[in-house]
Amino acid sequence: MAISHGYIELADSLSSCKVLVVGAGGIGCELLKNLVLTGFKNIEVIDLDTIDVSNLNRQFLFQKKHVGKSKAQVAKESALQFCPSANITAYHDSIMNDVFFFFLTEYKTPFVPVAARNHVNRMCLAADIPLIESGTAGYLGQVTVIKKGMTECYECQPKPTQKTFPGCTIRNTPSEPIHCIVWAKYLFNQLFGEEDADQEVSPDTADPEAAWKPEDTAARATASEKDGDIKRVSTKDWARSTGFDAVKLFNKLFKDDIMYLLTMDKLWKKRKAPTPLDWQQLEDSARPQEETPGSGLKDQQVLGVWGYCQLFQHSVETLSSHLQEKGEGAELVWDKDDPPAMDFVTAAANLRMHIFSMNMKSRFDVKSMAGNIIPAIATTNAVIAGLIVLEGLKILAGEVETCRTIFLNKCPNLRKKLLVPCVLDPPSANCYVCASKPEVTVKFNVHKTTVLALQDRILKERFGMVAPDVQIEDGKGTILISSEEGETEANNHKFLSDFGIRNGSRLQVDDFLQDYTLLVNVLHTEELEHDVEFEVVGEAPDKAPTPPSNQEEANSITNGNKDSAQPSTSSKAEDDSDDVMIVDSDEEEAASSATAKPAPSSGTKRKHSDAETGETSTKRPRTTQQSSAAADNDDDDDIIALD
Amino acid sequence: MIDTIEKEDPVISEEEAAQYDRQIRLWGLDAQKRLRGSRVLLAGLGGLGAEVAKNLILAGVKGLTLLDHEQVSEESCRAQFLVPVTAQGQNRAKASLERAQNLNPMVEVHADPDRVEDKPDDFFLQFDAVCLIGCSRDLMVRVDQLCSQRNIKVFCGDVYGYYGYMFCNLGQEHNYVEEKLKVVKPTRDSNDGPEAKKAKVDLNETTMVKKTASFCTLKEALEVDWTSEKAKAGLKRTPVDYFLLHGNEKCQFIKQVKKYKCFSVIYVILDSKPLAGFFCVENSFAGIRPMSPPSTKFHGHGHAAFA
Repeated sequence: MAISHGYIELADSLSSCKVLVVGAGGIGCELLKNLVLTGFKNIEVIDLDTIDVSNLNRQFLFQKKHVGKSKAQVAKESALQFCPSANITAYHDSIMNDVFFFFLTEYKTPFVPVAARNHVNRMCLAADIPLIESGTAGYLGQVTVIKKGMTECYECQPKPTQKTFPGCTIRNTPSEPIHCIVWAKYLFNQLFGEEDADQEVSPDTADPEAAWKPEDTAARATASEKDGDIKRVSTKDWARSTGFDAVKLFNKLFKDDIMYLLTMDKLWKKRKAPTPLDWQQLEDSARPQEETPGSGLKDQQVLGVWGYCQLFQHSVETLSSHLQEKGEGAELVWDKDDPPAMDFVTAAANLRMHIFSMNMKSRFDVKSMAGNIIPAIATTNAVIAGLIVLEGLKILAGEVETCRTIFLNKCPNLRKKLLVPCVLDPPSANCYVCASKPEVTVKFNVHKTTVLALQDRILKERFGMVAPDVQIEDGKGTILISSEEGETEANNHKFLSDFGIRNGSRLQVDDFLQDYTLLVNVLHTEELEHDVEFEVVGEAPDKAPTPPSNQEEANSITNGNKDSAQPSTSSKAEDDSDDVMIVDSDEEEAASSATAKPAPSSGTKRKHSDAETGETSTKRPRTTQQSSAAADNDDDDDIIALD
Repeated sequence: MIDTIEKEDPVISEEEAAQYDRQIRLWGLDAQKRLRGSRVLLAGLGGLGAEVAKNLILAGVKGLTLLDHEQVSEESCRAQFLVPVTAQGQNRAKASLERAQNLNPMVEVHADPDRVEDKPDDFFLQFDAVCLIGCSRDLMVRVDQLCSQRNIKVFCGDVYGYYGYMFCNLGQEHNYVEEKLKVVKPTRDSNDGPEAKKAKVDLNETTMVKKTASFCTLKEALEVDWTSEKAKAGLKRTPVDYFLLHGNEKCQFIKQVKKYKCFSVIYVILDSKPLAGFFCVENSFAGIRPMSPPSTKFHGHGHAAFA
């Protein structure tokens, strides 16, 4: 880059400063190219993922021959090709690994386009390193700068959490295709994978809507236990006892269970009742599927009911034999790119949709929803990566106050702008991460919440900690949880009340890795919603943000939470505003289950069936008075145009 | 051109479906088929040209012709990532060919070392779209005139440091479709769920709406009389880059840049007379609009970063 004399110092900073790029995916590849061409000399790139063929339409540092290899490693090699003198180090690892804490302290400006954002946010705050955060989805993109003490941190704004569905909707009264898809994924786990108490697929007899009188619910619960003892035996064991007989399985799930649901007549007073399927009937009346010699993708065809019956049978056979091959105690992990697994979910979900009077969906569409696929193209990532560098240069030039949050829209706005910059907000005084003494109040039942649940669901999942230490403020400094392995494991299954924790108790939680201390105020309650384990006081978990009224166009952007059990697609269905989802393009590829990444939840009982996670955030464009006033001044000026 | 595209092989291979999956999910299968039936010309393989080449190749066009008569200089390697550091002295288009092709073997990439100005009219007519990067105004006007009449899409662009422009002419009658979410009217017998009691946007079903847009030619755009009342009124919303393009050959276009808080002011000098002064907000191409020039007593030192 040719540089005139005013920017010589900037040029020097470029070549001496160290940059950390978290994620070598869509944005990462473009960013690496930009950094190297701009003159950055010391770059470290980290990504735990490997290359997939679906990456190749945009992650241009990778070619077909690289499929299966480490993204970080190949990205480094490709970038070195066009700038052999750059000093690039690649790490095929997770950013959650605490080794990185040491590296971050050396860096001036990490550019960070990736998941695990909470953790990175805290590390950068701890080390006082400016963080440039970005994400893309489809045509939309966003870049922002986080600087400790000057701007909001990543967690200053409460993020709308991933929409989750109540158990009874999944198990009893699905009304949208997504409910059926989630059910099908639960079913996969119950049959072939890791069984999870939060992923029940059988009719929920404890559904509060089902009973005319409360005492009936109890009666039904006991009655069902006598019904062939099916409820007492795990679904997997039952299936195994039938030899994973697809027809028996079909009749249980799509006939018997549905007939059972029909007996819960109150559910169907105001809803269209489901219609059970019978395998034999369907087989007898099956007509050969008309082949539409499509110019479409094979996956985009929607089969008939019998077609899905056959797909169900075929995939059950394949999956059960895979399971047998793996041996005793084996489990399969659902993966959208594993054909029989995807076939199974497609078939099961569609059969259920048909039962509940919904239009069936093609495998292509089911895959989008089940696999949380975010469409992605090269150009959006290219634009965002360019903006990242521009913001980075401002930081290096010592002009952080000129940094902005920039939104990339799909179409130009009323002012004909495709890129909309907004002034950065100052830190939120109540932020439970970057405020000087972060504090939060959490509501739960002290008699029913275990120490382990506190650690895993609340502190790690909800509050994004990695290795929390918990001390009770009881005057004695009782240690409830120690991050050192083995020290407090005996406490795990005890209830919090066993330690004298009650309404009004305070817990001091430290995560030394993140240099983060949080004071948790306990609010005891016996009245939480069905399926809800805890609630953070002062936030509205499932509400989408209302668009600000002073904007020409409602432009609320949120980062989607990538948890596969609760895909992001339906969360904004009821909104009239232009809410859209932005997720880093790297996240969809983070399929490794080796690292648990934090994901905010509304506290409902659920387990991530695979580790695709991400964060949610709400950013509203805020053109403050300052910048719009400056723009307004122009309107009064005369324009002199010469001919 | 649309007819020709539809005669192309309608069947997408497994390999293509897998590789283009994420973009097919965004712009649809039809759009992907059109892409893969189209041939594009790209003239100018500097930094901007390389980016455009990458984006088009990754998108999966049928063919891309890289046209550039320039030789690779030391600076070329730092400006773009397709040219190997060892290629100095070679033709820029040819030097970019290998890496461009490797981006996507399914695209037919060609390199042509000729001058774009020397190409006869029918050279351009073999393409479905033409991209002219860093070309002279006369050339752009000529090609634009030639192509838009035959429904060949024209794109022009260039960059100057932090600033740049893109012009496109998709024809007088450009037909396209817009995907809109279906509004589900409340019916008793809705097939998509038993609870459709109110009209709502159905995220599961979309409909394609046909639309037409009309574009002006480059010649028309350049010949706007900015002294007219109507033009003056529109000036505030006219990006400064337009004027950069306008004056590109005649003027010493970035004469002075003065930093004023977080704004940069550029004076476009056309034949030694100030044409207009322009506010540039941030470096993010966010809002660039005209303002009046300061008094004649102004002196300033200027900095300009050029690519």
